[in-house]
Amino acid sequence: MVQLRPRASRIPASAMVEEGQPPSEEEEEAEHGLLLGQPSSGAAAEPLEEEDEEGDDEFDDEAPEELTFASAQAEAREEERRVRESVRRDKTLLKEKRKRREELFIEQKKRKLLPDNILEKLTTAGPTNIKKPPGKLKEANLQKKKEEYEKGSDSQNAKERVQKVQFVGQNKSYVALRLKDQDLRDARQQAAKAFIQNSLYGPGTNRTTINKFLSLENKRLPVKKAAAQFLNNAWGTQKKQNAKRFKRRWMVRKMKTSKK
Amino acid sequence: MGEFKVHRVRFFNYIPSGIRCVAYNNQSNRLAVSRTDGTVEIYNLSANYFQEKFFPGHESRATEALCWAKGQRLFSAGLNGEIIEYDLQALNIKYAVDAFGGPIWSMAVSPHGSQLLVGCEDGSVKLFQITPDKIQFERNFDRQKSRILSLSWHPSGTHVAAGSIDYISVFDVKSGSAVHKMLVDRQYMGVSKRKCIIWGVAFLSDGTVISVDSAGKVQFWDSATGTLVKNHLIANADVQSIAVSDQEDSFVVGTAEGTVFHFQLVSVTSNSSEKQWVRTKPFQHHTHDVRAVAHSPTALISGGTDTHLVIRPLMEKVEVKNYDAALRKITFPHRRLISCSKKRQLLLFQFTHHLELWRLGSTVATGKNGDTLPLSRDADHLLHLKTKGPENIICSCISPCGSWIAYSTTSRFFLYRLNYEHDNISLQRVSKMPAFLRSALQILFSEDSAKLFVASNQGSLHVIRLLEGSFKHLHTFQPQSGTVESMCLLAVSPDGNWLASSGTSAGVHVYNIKHLKLHCTVPSYNFPVTALAIAPNTNNLVIAHSDQQVFEYSIPDKQYTEWSRTIQKQGCYQEAYRPCL
Repeated sequence: MVQLRPRASRIPASAMVEEGQPPSEEEEEAEHGLLLGQPSSGAAAEPLEEEDEEGDDEFDDEAPEELTFASAQAEAREEERRVRESVRRDKTLLKEKRKRREELFIEQKKRKLLPDNILEKLTTAGPTNIKKPPGKLKEANLQKKKEEYEKGSDSQNAKERVQKVQFVGQNKSYVALRLKDQDLRDARQQAAKAFIQNSLYGPGTNRTTINKFLSLENKRLPVKKAAAQFLNNAWGTQKKQNAKRFKRRWMVRKMKTSKK
Repeated sequence: MGEFKVHRVRFFNYIPSGIRCVAYNNQSNRLAVSRTDGTVEIYNLSANYFQEKFFPGHESRATEALCWAKGQRLFSAGLNGEIIEYDLQALNIKYAVDAFGGPIWSMAVSPHGSQLLVGCEDGSVKLFQITPDKIQFERNFDRQKSRILSLSWHPSGTHVAAGSIDYISVFDVKSGSAVHKMLVDRQYMGVSKRKCIIWGVAFLSDGTVISVDSAGKVQFWDSATGTLVKNHLIANADVQSIAVSDQEDSFVVGTAEGTVFHFQLVSVTSNSSEKQWVRTKPFQHHTHDVRAVAHSPTALISGGTDTHLVIRPLMEKVEVKNYDAALRKITFPHRRLISCSKKRQLLLFQFTHHLELWRLGSTVATGKNGDTLPLSRDADHLLHLKTKGPENIICSCISPCGSWIAYSTTSRFFLYRLNYEHDNISLQRVSKMPAFLRSALQILFSEDSAKLFVASNQGSLHVIRLLEGSFKHLHTFQPQSGTVESMCLLAVSPDGNWLASSGTSAGVHVYNIKHLKLHCTVPSYNFPVTALAIAPNTNNLVIAHSDQQVFEYSIPDKQYTEWSRTIQKQGCYQEAYRPCL
């Protein structure tokens, strides 16, 4: 038995809800969707009716309030001022934030350069007592390293040590690469290699292995013979290696125990 | 003559790498060949097809395109996204420029030789300007949807045809926009699910674009209207390469079945002026895919996965019918890959990434002349030495006493000391080799194994004294006048006094090792040297050239020997047409 949804009409909300309840007790889950629809439609219907009623009331009973021009102007000005104030406050807050961030970055950059200092020291000759300003390293054009961020902690102790090291020559014998870029490059190269492998040797090309090609005759004979290369010696190399190692160790153990 | 025991060595499992690209240079009649392991070899076709120079490979440098630019400059591009220029004088890489388009599939030099076009994985075609010392990025053409697999310039340099997957685009060079987009059928008169890959395009001066694709078709397109003119189905498998001659009256295509087809422009009937393209000759010289072809004025050159380089002179183009007109198949390496230690009967085999040390088998039986004697002890694999890093091994050598092994890659030089105790062998590396020894072209030990001679690719020759576990740099012979023309060869006299080195255009230099100075120079010959040796007692230097001429030069007398002079007057009987090595 299908329960038809009552049409949305200008009946007071309470009456609508009463109607919805009895069928919900009777019917099962099949009607659930419809029943769900009912109360909501009823609920949706409610505010509509109320609004209509309110609007009706207003229009019917009262005249709009009278406001003087001056008061309205004052109100508008207040509004504007408040809005301006809030915008200015937001701006200054943002500025502060940005300033703090910049300083933090500069600090981090300074800290980052020091580990290079240490590396330079490690790769060149032993330490002597000539001071060199760490500012020189800023001219080095190395790309960022991922690990640099983690080195910030021990930079403080290293600062004092590093001041006394001589840097032998400015030629950097190493290049730092960002791993993220390298991964992307490798992925593209892999995709290209896979494309060419697929287009030349993949499915759809009329190619077979030498074994299959030469064994086809043997397989079609009235007395079937084995394939041209029946044994696959490359199968299970790791397993065979492990077995060999185990056998050797077992033999050694056996020798030891038999000796005792 | 004496009694010799001949060892037949069948355990050198040398696997050459397949040929990927071939580029022919008309001005100097040289052929550049790049292989799948990254090696680039330069063959001098006029010097009896001798491999003059080579650039050692690298694991990451899989080249996909190779071309010559104006002024004998060689460029290659590969799947690592970089354009590399090779320095033909110093035999190393000049520089590598990243094209920032992903892996590069194709490259073409403009007909004037001043611009370079590169087709990338992301579908962009990039134009580079070739400046005297570098290349500079100019601009991008319109980006296409799929990867650009082949490129070809119109002989006037105004248009470019680019083959991609399922379509060919014709670009206008000035504006960089695609003028036409010609869609290619996936199958000849049929439907197929597999995409049609345009492996090669060629642009002729009358506006015809010839395309070869993976469905086995050779198609002729009219670039003015963007329509298909003619369709030839020539193979069941991919047609992978195309090369057009300079006169544009013939072209050659290579297929994946190993067949090479020659197409020629012939008149429809004799007397008529109308011409059409006809498939004239099939050649089956390869067993696997022919991935690269080139067309020289007189010959068809092809190379592929079966690692042979085949040069087929065309009978109608060759003027003199002599040995030059025969088919050439370059199969064996033109470099020395095996060195031998006489005292301990050891052989050192050089592979691309490792070295193998074998001891020859021995026998106690005796027999008559020509008997095959049974082995009492088989050949033994003593050492398998792998090299670290992605670079290929350039050259290697073992000392005559068998205690030193040296090999060189582009960036490092390795020296090992071997100790033999009963049947065991132990290896010890000599550390801190000097940097000037790297990129050595040839390594040789002296007969008493006390000195090491290294020829570097800059042309200088280093002499190093070997001590127990360490070394001492004695002297460096700086390059004499004359540039490095071809592979440097070294030969040392058995008494340890003389060292001969070839490779410069000035001739073969002979150095006195005791006094560490240049003794004399053999006058240069117009063919490169292929083999050098110094005879034990007479100290005569025997030189073999690539045109099968052999000279004998007496080092103490500083002149050619009598035998050599008589041979030159009479003429040596030429038996084989392969260069003696």
